[in-house]
Amino acid sequence: MNHTLRRAFTRQDRLIGDPFLICAGALLGTIGLLSLHGATLSEDVRVSDDVIQQSVFMSIGAVVLIVVARFDYRLLRLSWLPIIAIGLSAIALVLVLIIGSTAFGARRWFLIGGYSLQPSEFAKLATVVAIAAFASYHNASSRWFTVLLIAFLVPAGLILIEPDLGSALVLGTAWLVLMIAWPLSIKGLWAIAATVIAFVPLAFALAVPGYQRERLAVFFDPERDPLGSGFTLRQVEVALGAGGITGRGFEITESALSGLATRNSDFALAQIGEQFGLVGTISVILGFSLIAWRGLIIANSASDRFGKLLALGLTSLLIVQAMLHIAVNVRLFPATGIPLPFISLGGSSMVAACAILGLLISIASRHPADPLERWSGERWV
Amino acid sequence: MALGIVAITIFAILGAQLIRLQLLSPVSAPELITGEQPRFTQSEAARGLIYDRNGTPLVANVPAFVLRIVPADLPADDTARRAALVRIERESGVSVATLETATKHGLALVDSTAPVEILSIPTVTEAIRLRTSLANITAIEVATLPKRIYLDGELVAHLIGHVGSINEADIDEYLKAGYRFDAIVGQSGIEAIHETALRGSPERKLVVSDPTGRELANLTKLSAQHGDNLILSIDLELQRVTAESLAIAIKTGLPPEIPERMPPRQAAAAVAIDVRTGEILAQVSLPSFDPNILGSTEEAALTELLTDPRRPLVDRTYMEAHAPGSTFKALVAYAALEEGIATPGTTITSEGAISVQDEYDPSVTYVFKDWAAHGPTDLYQAIARSSDVYFYYLSGGYHSEGETLFEGLGETLLAHYARESGLGQPTGLDLAGETGGLVPDPTWKSDVIGEHWFLGDTYTFGIGQGYLSTSPLQMAILTAAIANGGEVLIPRIALGTHTAHGFIGTSRAIRNRLSDKKHSLAVVREGMRVAAEAGGTAWRGKPDGLTIGGKTGTAEFGLPYADGEFDTHAWYIGFAPFENPEIAVAVYVEHGIGSYEAAPVAKAMFEHYFDIPTSE
Repeated sequence: MNHTLRRAFTRQDRLIGDPFLICAGALLGTIGLLSLHGATLSEDVRVSDDVIQQSVFMSIGAVVLIVVARFDYRLLRLSWLPIIAIGLSAIALVLVLIIGSTAFGARRWFLIGGYSLQPSEFAKLATVVAIAAFASYHNASSRWFTVLLIAFLVPAGLILIEPDLGSALVLGTAWLVLMIAWPLSIKGLWAIAATVIAFVPLAFALAVPGYQRERLAVFFDPERDPLGSGFTLRQVEVALGAGGITGRGFEITESALSGLATRNSDFALAQIGEQFGLVGTISVILGFSLIAWRGLIIANSASDRFGKLLALGLTSLLIVQAMLHIAVNVRLFPATGIPLPFISLGGSSMVAACAILGLLISIASRHPADPLERWSGERWV
Repeated sequence: MALGIVAITIFAILGAQLIRLQLLSPVSAPELITGEQPRFTQSEAARGLIYDRNGTPLVANVPAFVLRIVPADLPADDTARRAALVRIERESGVSVATLETATKHGLALVDSTAPVEILSIPTVTEAIRLRTSLANITAIEVATLPKRIYLDGELVAHLIGHVGSINEADIDEYLKAGYRFDAIVGQSGIEAIHETALRGSPERKLVVSDPTGRELANLTKLSAQHGDNLILSIDLELQRVTAESLAIAIKTGLPPEIPERMPPRQAAAAVAIDVRTGEILAQVSLPSFDPNILGSTEEAALTELLTDPRRPLVDRTYMEAHAPGSTFKALVAYAALEEGIATPGTTITSEGAISVQDEYDPSVTYVFKDWAAHGPTDLYQAIARSSDVYFYYLSGGYHSEGETLFEGLGETLLAHYARESGLGQPTGLDLAGETGGLVPDPTWKSDVIGEHWFLGDTYTFGIGQGYLSTSPLQMAILTAAIANGGEVLIPRIALGTHTAHGFIGTSRAIRNRLSDKKHSLAVVREGMRVAAEAGGTAWRGKPDGLTIGGKTGTAEFGLPYADGEFDTHAWYIGFAPFENPEIAVAVYVEHGIGSYEAAPVAKAMFEHYFDIPTSE
């Protein structure tokens, strides 16, 4: 065991970074920090506590990224690890339901010495690692499909109870991608589709809280609640419209979003749109497109099945979350509170996103079958 | 690669939507890009009024002018802010330091758009002057707020209570009930107990405000609903007569000041209750206070009131209990009759005292005195003349040389009857802070005092002294039960409320019905009638031309003087008219003798109630 652990951090394998991934992460993080700084600036506050906090989280994220990138991801395939990962996630998620703190009607956070920790961010990550590990050991069969379904349903169900519909959707999509890539038979995929269609109304009735249903209704008819969540949606549209192409400027004293408590997290994109205009929002989309492109390439070029599945699952986590956040912000999806990776205010989300990038680089480094290897092949750490 | 195509497609759609929202057809709403948002505001409705049973108003809501400051509206720039505060100081006299505190601490931290009261303006002219001289400082407003005035303040102070700002400890509870944290709420007495009814429902408005909280437009409004008017069972005039005669009783009852002893306490209380319904007609506790001081900002007057050694805030009618003395004999007589210990004809001779041998050491003898040697008396005479020896016999019996010559009730049965009559527990009056008093028994004594129960304890219990303590209200309830044939009533101050849906009255309630198998209550009533006639001890409580039942009490308390005499409390209980009782009274005067100090108060109350000309 000691031997294995030591091996995990040696430089036997050439560590090849992925400059595109690093650049995308840095770009998104910078846009997020600038936006946060502009939004929290006031006459009395030169640098707000939020900006300092987010900077600290970005630094922690960078360290996590480097450490994880140098770690041999293949160690995650150890047979007992998936069970530990799912188990710990479940325990953390159950604990947060019992002793967690509540904000905006949901119980999603641990409060530790003034900081809040959101276990669902790490539970998503652990679940994807565990499922990829399981799937790499066994070929698709109805028996193992059942195991993977349970491994997904336990954390997803607990996240849904919090309630955090957005995170559950993200995890569900990542799981589906893994099932397709396993590859589950066409018949199996049809079975999933049929189950989803059959259970969605039931899940909607049981697990979707009243406020989420109301938001769904408002999504289809904004006039339904012009002063509650309909007001939010209208303000988001107004903010984006006011931003135009180049934005209203870095520092807006009277923002269209100033009434929204979650404008730095759940409506981060709309805020960027107001501050930096279309230039800012398209930059964000390009940043995530870059991550998607590199993630798929890393998955394709991974030599082992685990690396391939892991890269796919992790990329899905990041990209689907970003898509969901943007879709909510541009009124293409009902309002659900989901942070934008690398950008939204929040330590757990930042650190988890950095860990994902680190793992992707770890996979890429050990199997640099990419043509880019020739000009990016230098050691970066 | 299929996944790549899916991803590209989704990102393309999102990008296209962004281009649509930001470039092609942006939502243009210039009035909204400043961050305006809807906000709820709330202001309390006019508080319900309180009347006595004849419709005399006891409170009034009058406009009061206050100078308020809205911290959020002060200039943000330090110099400009300072200049504004200095100007406010010059015009209003409120120091800059006070203004800084008011705008930077407390409420201002929670909601800087909430106005903070900094000065109460005494006159209309002053209000107008301030309004004009500070007109160009937007952070300052001269507001007209409803203020609660207590009209006959001192007369009903304990009952009505007062209103004031929410206590810090209760703030969560009130916020849950929909109050703002700067609301004025009932703090004590009726004002607190009936807070919900008196409050009504506040005006709620939905307004559009800018990010600093300034209201820009009014969207919807829910009108205020006036609080319900409350009718009390109190008769204000009877209350007044009671208070006046109690004040005289305090004066005449005061013993001469003796240097080495504690200065005499000056307090008295009286209760009048309708024996048919349990409605309290008068309930006075002296010394009283001006409730307009409570909840005001007059610090000096408030401190004086709170530190007054006479404790005027304590309502002696129901918050404190004392030994009822011989008034308790009415209950002992009833219990003895009901248990067959005595009949109306039971005759016992009082030679001025009885002696009891010590239970362990027969050579030691205790002497229990009577206040006079009454000679042979029957039960009626015993009540009328308040023979202590007679009631020693009824309660503890008489024993000599190990032989029981007269079987008494015993302490356990006596305690049982006392509790049945409502003693030893709160009466259930609709006010907060009621004492239950104490009905002692052997278990209580060994638990609390750590001693055995002795025969002597039973004797002192039998004449209403020792450990027994009752509130004047409890004694009024007991008297009413004797008068009305055994119904132990639950007293009430509130008769009902006038709501938007008409009058909602409270209803008569009884706690317990005393057993009266042997018509004992009629015997006790007759004894009390004889007591109130010439030759009885209670005659000073009887007005001319009215037949009543009465009983005095003079309870010893404190340490004996050098000559063996004690200070005494004066008590009087009575009911009238004798034939068909309507009203029962209980009077308590700290320092005094029942027939001299307490009885005249009861007489004055009867005279007022039955409209009898005052006689000497």
